[in-house]
Amino acid sequence: MMTEVAFPFPFPQHLELILPEIILAVMGMVTLLMSVFVSKSRQNIVAWTAILSAIAAAVTLLSISGSEHQYTFYGYFLLDPLATYAKLLMIVATVFGMLLSLNYVKDLANVGEYYTLMLFALLGMLLMASANNFVVMYLGLELMALSVYVLVGYQRDVLRSTEASLKYFILGALSSCMLLYGLTFLYGTTGSFFFAEMGNIISGTGENERLAVLTGMLFVLAGLAFKVSVAPFHMWTPDAYEGAPTPITAFMSVAPKVAGLIVFMRIVEEVFQSLQSEYTPILIFFAVLSMAVGNLAAIVQRNIKRMLAYSTIGHVGFILLGMIAGTMQGYTSIMIYMTIYLFMTMGVFAIIIMMRRDNIQGELLDDFAGLSKVRPGYALAMGLLMFSMAGIPFLGGFWAKYAVFMAAVEQGHIVLATLGVLFSAIGAFYYIRIVKYMYFDEERVSFNFAKSVPLQVTVVFSTLVVVAIGLYPDPVMQICKLALAGFV
Amino acid sequence: MELYNVLDFPILSLAIFLPTLGALIIWLFIKNDNMVRWAALLTSVATFIVTLPLLFSFDKTTSHMQFEEFHPWISAVNINYHLGVDGISMPFIVLTGLLIIICIASAWKCIQTRVKDYMISFLILETTLIGVFSALDVMLFYFFWEALLIPMYLMIGVWGGKNRVYATLKFFLYTLAGSVLMLVALLAMYFEAGHTFSMLDLMNYKFSFQWQFWIFIAFFIAFAVKVPMWPVHTWLPDAHTEAPTAGSVILAGILLKMGAYGYLRFSLPMLPDASQYFAPMMIGLSLVAIVYISLVAMMQRDMKRLIAYSSIAHMGFVTLGTFVFTQQALEGAVINMISHGFVAAAMFLCVGVMYDRLHTREISDYGGVVNVMPVFAVIMLFFSMANIALPGSSAFIGEIMVLIGTFAADPAELVISAKWIAIVATISVVLSACYTLWMYKRVIMGDAIKDSVKSMSDITLREFSLFAPLIILTIWVGFYPLPVLDLLHESVAHLVEQATTSKIDTAVAVIEHSTALNAVTH
Repeated sequence: MMTEVAFPFPFPQHLELILPEIILAVMGMVTLLMSVFVSKSRQNIVAWTAILSAIAAAVTLLSISGSEHQYTFYGYFLLDPLATYAKLLMIVATVFGMLLSLNYVKDLANVGEYYTLMLFALLGMLLMASANNFVVMYLGLELMALSVYVLVGYQRDVLRSTEASLKYFILGALSSCMLLYGLTFLYGTTGSFFFAEMGNIISGTGENERLAVLTGMLFVLAGLAFKVSVAPFHMWTPDAYEGAPTPITAFMSVAPKVAGLIVFMRIVEEVFQSLQSEYTPILIFFAVLSMAVGNLAAIVQRNIKRMLAYSTIGHVGFILLGMIAGTMQGYTSIMIYMTIYLFMTMGVFAIIIMMRRDNIQGELLDDFAGLSKVRPGYALAMGLLMFSMAGIPFLGGFWAKYAVFMAAVEQGHIVLATLGVLFSAIGAFYYIRIVKYMYFDEERVSFNFAKSVPLQVTVVFSTLVVVAIGLYPDPVMQICKLALAGFV
Repeated sequence: MELYNVLDFPILSLAIFLPTLGALIIWLFIKNDNMVRWAALLTSVATFIVTLPLLFSFDKTTSHMQFEEFHPWISAVNINYHLGVDGISMPFIVLTGLLIIICIASAWKCIQTRVKDYMISFLILETTLIGVFSALDVMLFYFFWEALLIPMYLMIGVWGGKNRVYATLKFFLYTLAGSVLMLVALLAMYFEAGHTFSMLDLMNYKFSFQWQFWIFIAFFIAFAVKVPMWPVHTWLPDAHTEAPTAGSVILAGILLKMGAYGYLRFSLPMLPDASQYFAPMMIGLSLVAIVYISLVAMMQRDMKRLIAYSSIAHMGFVTLGTFVFTQQALEGAVINMISHGFVAAAMFLCVGVMYDRLHTREISDYGGVVNVMPVFAVIMLFFSMANIALPGSSAFIGEIMVLIGTFAADPAELVISAKWIAIVATISVVLSACYTLWMYKRVIMGDAIKDSVKSMSDITLREFSLFAPLIILTIWVGFYPLPVLDLLHESVAHLVEQATTSKIDTAVAVIEHSTALNAVTH
């Protein structure tokens, strides 16, 4: 797998495997230049170029992907079915994020760069998905994180946006430090950056290196936990979600989470495989705390973006149940969950973006009061998505939760699964409260809905997908199973 | 696998999806409120007609599931679309079909806002209810069981009374929290029984006592909330009181039976040893429901609340009959469920009729209604008597069978003599007479003093036609229950056999029994 690195470097074999990333990198720079030359009133051209580049990357990805593990760049870059599927999810999330942005950011300065940053963030995430070693993983992670920091603070005249960006940056930098600090221990013990090789060496380490390995593991897990907003490392999430432009909130609640979880899965499964009994209690602690913090703190929120931030923390807690199971079924359930979560989130945020009154964004829960009378269609979509998030059947969210609980029960984590279902029942309260506002209350403030075709398409499409998956989840489950083939 | 379906036609699927189809058509194409009402009524009548062949082509000589359908649904996790009914579930499907027609017709005048949403909710609710009673795959069952929370939540919340938001949130969260534990239990059973969600396989799989013990607890919580059993009954009076009339009718008529059906379909056949083990507790809780809740009912000032409490007391008879494991008591329990579907539904309709006129449910706001609504007074008297289980009404058959069945139960299984249980339960006959007749006296009898009461007009033909089928059925089952008993007989006999056949070896059982107890006590 690792080729001897000769000097000067021979041209890497199978360069086509990295073609999607190359497309994104080139198009990122192209859009950057375009935004300078295209007049301000026509910045949508830049946006559409970015969207088309992302789609082109997806098409290329599909054409090169196969069912086996493929390597390039001397084994530093891996393309397996899992990476392919995760990349597709990220690209879909990014395209949705761009579609939601179209009208939202058009009045900001330097709109073109906004899309450039999204492309670079996507590029970073794709690298993370393909990383089979810490170096590429870290490069991808930082490229993604730096782009997202800027995107969160993109409304630079809005205090809350810049504040959120700064908080996110400082805490993100801290978490990167923790990750790197942990990595030094692991590298010092194993002398390798490759996941599989490190895993082999760690499984053979004796008592002397044990402390170093465990310390390294603890820091690496903590660093990763920061990135996927797992409690107790979740503090940045509500502020960043609330302050970011809403399309970015939608984008960052899905795409970076997928990237982070893929890395998480690979590291847990490949590097720390022999330490399962050590890391499982840590993950259980993370999972229970996330479910508790996410679902309980969401109840007291008045701002829907903050509420959804806590809801994300809760969802990640459920997802960790799949990680704890650590089986084929467990990892599959993570992908199933993320797939369904992607569509639920995009639909919900598209509706939130539409709620505008002149220049004021309706993001308080009260703003949803009486929506069903004014906009029955959107209220219905929002209601279905909320029931789905709460995990009520005939909607997709039920099968997402079902999959992770099933994985946990299969491994005998019945107490954990019981806690999970109870927290999901508690969580149902704040989701159905939105339905209560929309259907049971009278309208308090009226909104002139900022409707646009991309937003409407997003809402309708996501809702239909969520309902369709709810009624017939088999295809999604089968695809995720295929994606995980050969992983464990 | 061989499917037993004499009709050779997916009649259960048709009954399940016809209401949804109707709802879709109404949603997409019909704008006018009146048209919506007619379309909904047409759909519900059509669905009822579709369910009738279940009744007439039913093979009474077998306990085998009938009208079976089987399709793989989610092959990734081995969940199948497997439908079928036996004598226990079939009557409830037909009853659902009938009550939904009554519900839709009863909402003709009193629901004036968002008629379309209302009818759509009701039709979707019908889909989920029929689905619950016909599912033979436990995940399919759970799917319908949970899905019905959505239309019910909206129904109470949108068209309910003053305190509707509190009531509907309480209803939703209470029942959700109860039933999620069932999900964990079902998943655990799936892996234990060798990757199957099939209800019939799970009935045959020999779970150890420890397994049965914990799964029974999970099921107990889920079903007890739905029945509802004391002490987890508190959502019901709120939900009933705030729900629109038709919502109360369907709650009392069908929804409450789902919990009892769960015991009959899951706990007894799948977990016979745990059911025996927990029987004293279940009987105890049933007696509390019968006696204590009857006393609570007596003190209510709100008519709907009173009938809600009386429903809990009557459901106590059902759970009592379920957990004494005799043929008679179990048949009595099912008859009681069916009969309660007629009587409680009709009682709520009676309150609805008065509420439509005066817009109050307080007993003290009425008095002397007989002077202005003589026909109505007779109808209400009839159902009040049925509520007391007067001989000649369907409720009498159910209660007497439960009492006799309990009296004859094997005393070795129980802590106290079965005779005493039956005697305590009999008290309720007196108590139910107290609260029902006292309410009747205060509401209907006497002189019409209040001006508001004087202005009430007697029931219309439309309202009368709602009661007519229920009157006929109550009398018919009351005087000639044999056809219904025939339907039940084989299925109940099979159930009794399942519930009394231990799944564990006795030698192992004693050890496991004690280890399980140790696990609990520590």
